[in-house]
Amino acid sequence: MNLLVNGDAEKGPGGTAEPVGRVVGWTVRQGAPALVGYDVGGGYPTPADPGPGGAAAGARFFSGGNSPLTTLVQEADLPAGGATGHRAVDAGRVRYVLSGWLGGYAGQEDGARLSVEFRDRAGTPLALSVLGPVSAAERGNVTALVERSAEAAVPPGARSAHVQLSFTRSGGGTSNDGYADGISLRLTASGRHS
Amino acid sequence: MTLNRRDLLKAAGAAGALNAVWPLTAGLSPAQAREAAEALGSTYDKAPFTLGVASGDPQPTGVVLWTRLAPEPFAEPGEQKLDEVVDVRWVVAEDRALRRVVARGTVPASATLAHSVHVPVGGLRPGRTYYYAFTALGRTSRLGRTRTAPAGRVRSARFATANCQSYPSGHYAALRGIAREDLDFVIHLGDYIYEYGPEGSDIRDHNGPEILTLRDYRVRHALYKGDPSLREAHAAHPWFLTWDDHEVSNDYSGTGGGAPFMRRRAAAYQAWYEHQPHRGAGESVLPDIDIHRVRRWGDLLELAVLDLRQYRSAQNLPDGTILGADQKAWLKKTVDRAPDSWHIWANSIMLSQLRGRPGGGFMFTDQWDGFLGERKEVLEHVRTSGLEDLVVLTGDWHSAFVDDIRPDFDNTESPVVGTEFTAHSVTSGAYDAQWNATNGPLMGAANPHLQYFEGNHYGYDVYEVTPERFTTHMRVIDDRRDPASPVSTLTTFHVDRGTAGAYEDPATKSSPAQYRRD
Repeated sequence: MNLLVNGDAEKGPGGTAEPVGRVVGWTVRQGAPALVGYDVGGGYPTPADPGPGGAAAGARFFSGGNSPLTTLVQEADLPAGGATGHRAVDAGRVRYVLSGWLGGYAGQEDGARLSVEFRDRAGTPLALSVLGPVSAAERGNVTALVERSAEAAVPPGARSAHVQLSFTRSGGGTSNDGYADGISLRLTASGRHS
Repeated sequence: MTLNRRDLLKAAGAAGALNAVWPLTAGLSPAQAREAAEALGSTYDKAPFTLGVASGDPQPTGVVLWTRLAPEPFAEPGEQKLDEVVDVRWVVAEDRALRRVVARGTVPASATLAHSVHVPVGGLRPGRTYYYAFTALGRTSRLGRTRTAPAGRVRSARFATANCQSYPSGHYAALRGIAREDLDFVIHLGDYIYEYGPEGSDIRDHNGPEILTLRDYRVRHALYKGDPSLREAHAAHPWFLTWDDHEVSNDYSGTGGGAPFMRRRAAAYQAWYEHQPHRGAGESVLPDIDIHRVRRWGDLLELAVLDLRQYRSAQNLPDGTILGADQKAWLKKTVDRAPDSWHIWANSIMLSQLRGRPGGGFMFTDQWDGFLGERKEVLEHVRTSGLEDLVVLTGDWHSAFVDDIRPDFDNTESPVVGTEFTAHSVTSGAYDAQWNATNGPLMGAANPHLQYFEGNHYGYDVYEVTPERFTTHMRVIDDRRDPASPVSTLTTFHVDRGTAGAYEDPATKSSPAQYRRD
């Protein structure tokens, strides 16, 4: 189960290239993102461009809007019970997978970065994974979103996950063409970390 | 393979330069790379605590404790003989023998953070010295000493700043001096590491090319921590930390970069966090890091730690910013709310205006001279708010300056609102003696607010503060090539409470300097 709400940009206001002030599930920490429809065109990713594709892509993706830096944050409490609950976490029997599709426009170096920080009850960071931003070279200098993922143990004592999605504009211009879609954070039960 | 210093230096001689030797480390295993570093003078604590221990961000009831498990300092976390997550026990006590325990616990060290741990210890008593240690894998770390901030009325404080510690440029005798000083705390003003490849030093050198990736930055921090005086200074005192450019790359702006640079910056920030006793603050989520913060040392000092890199724009723009909008608003609010105390700004890069010669341009617009509008706005705010007793502590320049701070540096009628002490570097190269002798007087003539310039030494500053007086002692070492170089006091300046402007102590006023306004 994806711990994150609206990691696919499908919920709430959006659908055009215009920035929105509110994003379901996420706190807009800086700037203002756009939740752009794959049918908007005009240089934005379309279903024909490399990316999640088909039903997995849904109708929309995140972009950085018109701000040089746009940052979204989502805090997810780890489940208290069950196979990936606190007891399992404290016994070292839970792993996480952070994944997302990250991209940009043509040969430009605008980008999207996805990170997760696991914290204990007091708010101290215990684990960190950072994905992207994806360079133009990694996209073959074409408009595309490429999949990135990281997997590691959830450290004992972890109680929350802080996921951050940052879009950065390089150089001048108006549009922040860092793109992201299909953001997920999943927990799995596993053996003892040792 | 067994390497020793003689063989390395012999090979260097045959090759004509030492930097022909260090690239050999590119093909070495982590253990061999460590052996090579040790052959050229590095040391490491016993595994797994090879990089030592540290404490930071002291507050009245707590500090942050740091260590990192790295049995092989130059190995990636996944290459270490460690589990993915390792339990680390910590203990804080009132005595060196760790018998009068006041706090203890266990924290997980994750490979995702290079098996580093950051323990925010609370429940301590204000103004006390404590001792701490870590245990993992059946081994115990070296003993660390730390100190909490006092609360209430405080009659004196004593602290130091360090800055710019290029590893190839020399040994850290200055940090050895800091470790041996009787201090409440240390502030590092940045350029803790340098990102460059080998520089051809015949003392010691970077053991890899320019650093770009998370792995690169981790290895570089591990190389620097190989200087025993750095580890000693961390273990001896709690540190406050800011950064300058070389923790990432020369003269960078934290905003506006393309994806390859933003990825590099994130790697550098993460590695910095993994190797420093830093307390997360505000709402930031790693690998973004909130550096700026305000702290109190009782009613005596208010310390504002500034971040002049992460949020800055490009230089020399009409609407450019060195602080970023949020930090600027925070700093102005800090000025508005300032208590009646000394106000210290930990400022990585020079605030005061600096022209190279009369009628000439600014020497470096990477410093606040590249952000004129914002500097004027902030200093005007200091003036109009009536803030008194402002002392700005600065690094970066690799030379010592004392400046009167004026909201308008081009107008000598503009009131002095504070003093800036720019400190000598730990090791990073200054201009040569001839340049200093020639340009000291030129800078003095071009900058009426400049009181003092000295660029022929390396060292650190120690500050003694009472309610009545702020005193800066410029400590200098004899020789960067000597790890145990003796420390002496070059000169001493004072600022009297309620009186803007510094004056040199008569006892040291005849000490050598390349400019002194009489």
